[in-house]
Amino acid sequence: MADIFFYRPHFVAFIILFLLGVYIMVVNLNLVKKLIGMYLMQTSIILFFITLAVKKDSTIPILLSSATAVTPEAYANPLPHVLMLTAIVVGVSTLGVSLAMVIALYRQYNTLEEDQILGKMQ
Amino acid sequence: MTSSLPGFLFAIPFFAAVVIPVVGFTNQKFCRPIALSALVFLSIVSVIGLSEAVSHGPLSHAFGGWAPPIGIEWVVDGLSGLLMVAISIVSLITLVHAGPLVEKELPGRVIPFYSLSLLLIAALGGMVLTGDLFNLFVFLEIGSLASYVLVGVAGGRSLLPAFRYLILGTIGASIYLLGVGYLYAATGTLNMADLTQRLPEVLNSRAVLTGLLFIVFGLAIKMGLFPLHGWLPDAYTYAPDACTPLLASVVTKVPLYAFVRIAFWIFGMGTVSTQIPILVVLGWVGAVAAIVGAYLAIWQENFKRMLAYSSVSSMGLFMLGFSLGTETGFAGGLFYVLADTLMKAALFGVAGAAIYQCGASTVTDLVRLRRNMPWVSAALLISALSMVGIPPTAGFFGKWHLVVGALEAEKYFAVAAILVSSMLTALYFFRMFQRVWAEPLQLVKPHVLETPFPIRISLGVLTFGIMALGLGSDLVMGLIFESAIPKGF
Amino acid sequence: MIRPHDSVIVHTLARVFTPIIQLFALYVLIHGHDSPGGGFQAGTLFAASIILSILAFGIQDSQTVLERRAIILGGIGILLYAGIGLLPLILGAEFLNYGELPIPGMEASARRHWGILGIEIGVTIAVAATAVSIFYSLSGRGEGEGK
Repeated sequence: MADIFFYRPHFVAFIILFLLGVYIMVVNLNLVKKLIGMYLMQTSIILFFITLAVKKDSTIPILLSSATAVTPEAYANPLPHVLMLTAIVVGVSTLGVSLAMVIALYRQYNTLEEDQILGKMQ
Repeated sequence: MTSSLPGFLFAIPFFAAVVIPVVGFTNQKFCRPIALSALVFLSIVSVIGLSEAVSHGPLSHAFGGWAPPIGIEWVVDGLSGLLMVAISIVSLITLVHAGPLVEKELPGRVIPFYSLSLLLIAALGGMVLTGDLFNLFVFLEIGSLASYVLVGVAGGRSLLPAFRYLILGTIGASIYLLGVGYLYAATGTLNMADLTQRLPEVLNSRAVLTGLLFIVFGLAIKMGLFPLHGWLPDAYTYAPDACTPLLASVVTKVPLYAFVRIAFWIFGMGTVSTQIPILVVLGWVGAVAAIVGAYLAIWQENFKRMLAYSSVSSMGLFMLGFSLGTETGFAGGLFYVLADTLMKAALFGVAGAAIYQCGASTVTDLVRLRRNMPWVSAALLISALSMVGIPPTAGFFGKWHLVVGALEAEKYFAVAAILVSSMLTALYFFRMFQRVWAEPLQLVKPHVLETPFPIRISLGVLTFGIMALGLGSDLVMGLIFESAIPKGF
Repeated sequence: MIRPHDSVIVHTLARVFTPIIQLFALYVLIHGHDSPGGGFQAGTLFAASIILSILAFGIQDSQTVLERRAIILGGIGILLYAGIGLLPLILGAEFLNYGELPIPGMEASARRHWGILGIEIGVTIAVAATAVSIFYSLSGRGEGEGK
């Protein structure tokens, strides 16, 4: 069980970042800090996908000339990278929408702490 | 069979959503005609797609010309075609209904409203039709972003519920993505048809089990299944009345469809009921959701909040129906989903019309509907009777087939849950009837006019649809049994 | 409300770097076919150059010019992307199948090359315009709400 730190350290890193992101989201009352936690959680999932793409002794998956024969083992798996480009774009747009909402909330209630906003809403 | 029709089902609302801001900057009056004509076109094309899929077999469209399983393909088969027809027709009716409400509630924000609504409809169509798990995630997020903004677009009290919806919805989508990652790591493919063939070899690994659990958890947050429904009551209550019918009637049902597709078509009926028995757990969760949602709805004074808890209860009934494990139960659940899109659109439409015309937001104030608003009152009566389950409305036939399916599967807790939740639903809807129709008439303000034409026609069409779906339930159930049932029952 | 920066170092370096970043954005866009890069990355670089100049010189001068045009440009970028994708669908092949674009005198692989370049240009315009408009709605005194 403890050998996961030696053989699969990337999974351990992913789990630590993911749980850290969730903890930040749950504990903090400031809305911007919650967004930081949410984006950290999304980034940890992106890290997880990228580590699935690595192969031993592989290079970047770009075909420089079509003369040599293509062996799939020599190139890293490009599919998770492409998926994560899309996921990064989705994460950035979510961040944009959420920051715009935070700005609107600040203009409305003049505070960024969730308990104060809830108090003012009553 | 390959066809370009699914491509058009994506292109029509997407192009309308992109053209509306560009055109609307010149003149705002063009937004609504473009949106409505795009939705009429979309409804016609989706009906054609459903009829072709039922008669000739599933239609498949590979994007970019790249063949699956490498490429992304979109499939119109019985289930997805049926849901696409329901989404396009109900969203057309709700956008017709929203016309007067948008002008009153969201005066400077007409362009974002129509553009985001069409983007939401395009994303919902994409989720329903796609045959690739990651494409499902992308459209899930597009639709969710559009709905977060639609909930918060009015500003004021709707901003914090929209923000909470954003946080919880993003957590749900990220967990779904994590589940897809586990499945990809175990099998190496994302295409749904290919995954179905590769799964039986790796079914015993912990990666597949964790992947399935994460996917179900993420989708459960998105669909508002108790106890992961925390965002739902506030979001539905404080969202602008122009947006709530669209949000409440179709947006939560598409993650439910995604769950059904993944559990029954990809994993297979045998796997999810015996090997990885999530259907048993979800059956109990659905039963508890149905009862608790109906119970919480009794104590609400705000009409939209009462309907929001009623939606939580309905989602429990859907999950209960799909987890019964018999053909009748599955078909009953699907029929009840279709009926519920009409019922929720009508009920939230009535709530919006009541606030627009006479400022009635609580259940007691609905008594103002009695004077001079016959269309709205009729819509309220029929849709409330349908929610309770009184024949011959569509809701009765849905619950009837659910009970028959539960009796066939000998799951008596499900029968008990359906009956108890129906009794609790009757409790709060009959309390509403008593407040609306049994109060003495002289307390009602006399100077209330009838609602504008778009509201009347949309509520009338929805009422007619509920009755027609109920009276024609044999035809619809026949269609479902013929083309929308997974194998393995 | 972002005011112009007082330091002359910031002004000079912003003046030097903004065109360099934009040139690099064009490089990333066109070389996305053969090396890491592409439309989204180029769009964000382009937006970063505009945001750099706003941070150095203040928001007042550019707001009247760019804020309304940014959203329209975003729409035009998406229409360019989706239009190139829709053309094969109308002609009978699949959505985004650039091999079937009606350009005479080219074989299918060359048509795919130019099709991808076209949609990446559309994506760049859309992403740059969207990022700039997000920045304006977050910083200016306009009616920012959830969009």
